[in-house]
Amino acid sequence: MKRLRGRTWFVLLFTLLLLAGTLVLVWQYFTQGREWASFSANSHLFTKGRIATGAITDRNGVLLYDGPSGDYAEDKTTRTATLHAVGDQYGNIATGAKLLFKQYMAAYNPVTGTGSEGNTVALTIDAELNAAALRALDGRNGTVAVYNYNTGEILCMVSAPTFDPYDSQQVLEAVNAGDTRYNGVYLNHFFSAAFTPGSTFKLVTTAAALDKLNSAADFSFTCTGSLELEGGTITCPSVHGAQDLSDALANSCNCAFAQLAVELGGETLLRYTKDAGLLDSVEMNGIFSAKGSFTPSSNPSELGWSGVGQYTNLVNPCSELVFLGCIAGEGSAKTPTLLKSVTTSLGLPGAFLSTGDSSIAYKPSTCRMLKQMMRRNVTDHYGQEQFGTLPVCAKSGTAEVGPDVSPHAWFVGFVDDPAHPYAFVVLVENGGWGSSVAGSVAAEVLTQLCRED
Amino acid sequence: MNVALFSTLSDGVQKLLLRLLSFLAEENPLTGAVGGIAAGICRLLLPLLGFLVVVRCARSLLQGKLEHETWGWLSTREGKHTELDHWEVLIGRSRRCDVVYSDRTVSRNHAALIRDHRGAWTLYPLRSKNPVTLNGRVVLQPTPIQSGAVLGFGAVQAAFRPISPTEEAEQARRRTRPGKVFSPGVTLLLLSLFQALLCATLVNVVDPDYGQAVLFAFGVLLASMWVVYALYRILRRTGFEIETLAFFLTTLCFTVTADSAPSALYKQTITMVLGLVLFFALSMVLRDVDLAAKLRWPAAAGAGILLAFNLLLGQRLFGAKNWMVIGPVSFQPSELVKVAFVLVGAATLDRMFTRRNLIGTLVFSAFCVGSLALMSDFGTALVFFVAFLAIAFLRSGDLPSVAFMTAAAVFAGMLVLRFKPYVASRFSVYRHVWEDPSGLGYQQTRTLSALASGGLFGQGLGNGWLKKIGAANTDLVFGVIGEELGLILALLAVSVIVLLALFTVKSAATGRSSFYVIAACTTAMIFLMQTMLNVFGSTDLLPLTGVTFPFVSVGGSSMLSCWCLLAYIKAVDTRQNAGIAVRLPKRNPKPDPENAPNAPSPFPEPPGMGDATQRWNGEGFGAQVHIHREEDVP
Repeated sequence: MKRLRGRTWFVLLFTLLLLAGTLVLVWQYFTQGREWASFSANSHLFTKGRIATGAITDRNGVLLYDGPSGDYAEDKTTRTATLHAVGDQYGNIATGAKLLFKQYMAAYNPVTGTGSEGNTVALTIDAELNAAALRALDGRNGTVAVYNYNTGEILCMVSAPTFDPYDSQQVLEAVNAGDTRYNGVYLNHFFSAAFTPGSTFKLVTTAAALDKLNSAADFSFTCTGSLELEGGTITCPSVHGAQDLSDALANSCNCAFAQLAVELGGETLLRYTKDAGLLDSVEMNGIFSAKGSFTPSSNPSELGWSGVGQYTNLVNPCSELVFLGCIAGEGSAKTPTLLKSVTTSLGLPGAFLSTGDSSIAYKPSTCRMLKQMMRRNVTDHYGQEQFGTLPVCAKSGTAEVGPDVSPHAWFVGFVDDPAHPYAFVVLVENGGWGSSVAGSVAAEVLTQLCRED
Repeated sequence: MNVALFSTLSDGVQKLLLRLLSFLAEENPLTGAVGGIAAGICRLLLPLLGFLVVVRCARSLLQGKLEHETWGWLSTREGKHTELDHWEVLIGRSRRCDVVYSDRTVSRNHAALIRDHRGAWTLYPLRSKNPVTLNGRVVLQPTPIQSGAVLGFGAVQAAFRPISPTEEAEQARRRTRPGKVFSPGVTLLLLSLFQALLCATLVNVVDPDYGQAVLFAFGVLLASMWVVYALYRILRRTGFEIETLAFFLTTLCFTVTADSAPSALYKQTITMVLGLVLFFALSMVLRDVDLAAKLRWPAAAGAGILLAFNLLLGQRLFGAKNWMVIGPVSFQPSELVKVAFVLVGAATLDRMFTRRNLIGTLVFSAFCVGSLALMSDFGTALVFFVAFLAIAFLRSGDLPSVAFMTAAAVFAGMLVLRFKPYVASRFSVYRHVWEDPSGLGYQQTRTLSALASGGLFGQGLGNGWLKKIGAANTDLVFGVIGEELGLILALLAVSVIVLLALFTVKSAATGRSSFYVIAACTTAMIFLMQTMLNVFGSTDLLPLTGVTFPFVSVGGSSMLSCWCLLAYIKAVDTRQNAGIAVRLPKRNPKPDPENAPNAPSPFPEPPGMGDATQRWNGEGFGAQVHIHREEDVP
């Protein structure tokens, strides 16, 4: 019997396995319970897959979505302008708060489980600013985004084409019927798409030139309106004459930057694109942005075109925004977030939030040089008057996207002012000339924002 | 009183009760405010009561030292007395024998002494190098021995003296009875309160048509609990913790049944009563090891036929083809086969040394596991396989063989995965259920979500949705309880299984026969394995296989087999007067003439039971056989 008793550890082993597994389960219950509870099949919180608890407001408390009733904001322009931040009725928009923050909208704690009274989720966006941005886009497709690079809060995030969420049914039918007006309507153009960057990419080429070329300080280039490279010709819209690096950036001289690209080489440009974070996804509130792309060509003319932001280059507006924030922050900035606060029905904080940090692998001195040059772009070329007294640093871009269509108009930059620490990206698809078309949208949005400050 | 009047009366009482209960829960001004608070208190009270019941049983079962029983003595000429504290005693040189003689002429396992339930002892020689002698004559076959017999193991001689009936009664009088510190009646009262709370809530939650069914089920549950308890009191049995824990789990089962499939309440109640009857019957059988051992053959044959029929004529009700339908009754033979499987696998000490016996068990196990695999019931097949591993290891102690068999099973499992895409697909989603929440991760994601929604105290009975999923009340029962009654009660259900296993391991030290220890350990393994597969399968810590949670999962066959299996655990519980699976000694025994001393002995007397009246002074015989010293052996 003693021998047999000595073998009963076998049973003890399985008892311990059961105990250990139960501990793991309890651990997961406490760490992942909120996500489990916010599963759309959980009818304590969802009705037919729609979150039926809690509310979403903008940063100032303007109601954007009410869970129990399923109502959106009262004002139609606000509803339309915040569609990609809030989400449609059917959960077709991946960046919508209805999907992103359902676990915060649901009143949940591991002790009492889910509660019937939901939480209020305040987004970082400003509903009025979004409406203003949508009005400024004036029916054109594109995206307008502004974020505070010191806190990470996204104040404006508009993506077009868009629609009134109350029209979700009609739009779904139109999309299914192949209506071209709604091409990419469920895609957040700020977060989930990548576009040809055009001249805004010259910031990367400039940074590489500042670091890699000893002659950058006394770089000079005489633009004759075209540059013959092996395999093709680079052209400028006008003849820029003799310029230094800062002039070339301000003039957005294609010939000068193609020349620089060839001198720097494809691998260097690739590294500087990667170092800028433009080839990686940005993680925002648990979802990942689309990635950009850069192909280092061995053909000098193709390499030249990629140095001016054409060829196969693609940039995601969100990573561009983080890149700009990092230039303003001389190497680092906060990661963008849409979530400002979570408040329970009793008015207590419903979650502890923190924002992450982003950084680029550019030297602070390089960032400062870029900043100076971008500031000069505004004062000497784009016109300070449209921005009032705001010290805006910017770069425009006019990205050729096809032989028979208007180019994409870009205007990207930031305000170099601790009182107004904003970075912005404006893209007007097929809008035409960058600085005039996208620049005026940026000016309208920034003026409205800083008036509120 | 005539029958008609009685039934009218009982009907009236039932209706009155129902009306009272529904009034208390109605949204009327009087009870509105009170009801809200009452519901809140109820949500806290249920886990608290459950916790008290389980903790009281746990402390009663696991606290305190085990008291060994003495069944006799072996005394050498040099005055070394060894207590025989089991019904099966292994004698040899090995330190892990029960009686150790570290003489070189004694083999590692030299001989065994086995007592039957009537108190008769038999000497078993175990192929030792040097002979076993009884009163000077070499013994080659199992031979009955009497008090005063002198046994020779190699050069060692020892006089044997069993405990006398008077001493046995004295020993029983002196040993501590369970239930002294934690009164089983109080624990049962707490459990009754727990049941009453659940019943009162359920009556208001279920479809009014089933109000009577709920009252019936909980009434029978409560009554049978107290009837069993009264029966135990009458039979002077005081160990009621294991039964209380089983009733606790059964209560959870009835609650889930009432909440998810109230029409099944009658069936569930009847199978519980039937299970209790079988529990008693099997307990009575287990008092007598020889009888239990004889039943192994019919049990194996019955189980074999049942499985064979199942294989040929089985119905595919939920995925696996493991159902049999006979007229209005549908059941799962595999559940009943478990009871036979344990019986077939268990073995007394003497049989553990014969290879033929192990091979028989091996063939039977292979048949069971194979049949279940053919029925696509891989979860149950796995439960049987692990139970078999436990039997094999407990009987042989041969870890490499167990490891080898596990490896073989893993290999066979891989082959199954290769050829049965239905099983492989379940594995493909394992640990990735959230990637396919509407497909293969359907049940797991919903279980987790419902579990999280319930919190520690649950959303309240009737407020859950997980139960609406097919077979949720068996396969996902952990989540169903977690959602409506809270994580605490769900975990308490798991802890009951842990407790049963821990108690089995603890009691193994005082188990009278290997038969009981192996049977109880195998039962514990079956319970443990089923709980793991059920709880972890539904929460994605293991692949989902659809195995029942012992006692808790809704289902007649499962309820029946669990109560039967419980008898095996009771048979290893040798605390004094603990249960009916262990026979009590006669209170006022007559002196036993067979064991009476006959002549003075050259051996020193064993200490006996202190002031026991009867003393042994039997005579020994000198050894007349040649003893090989170890150095003699080439």
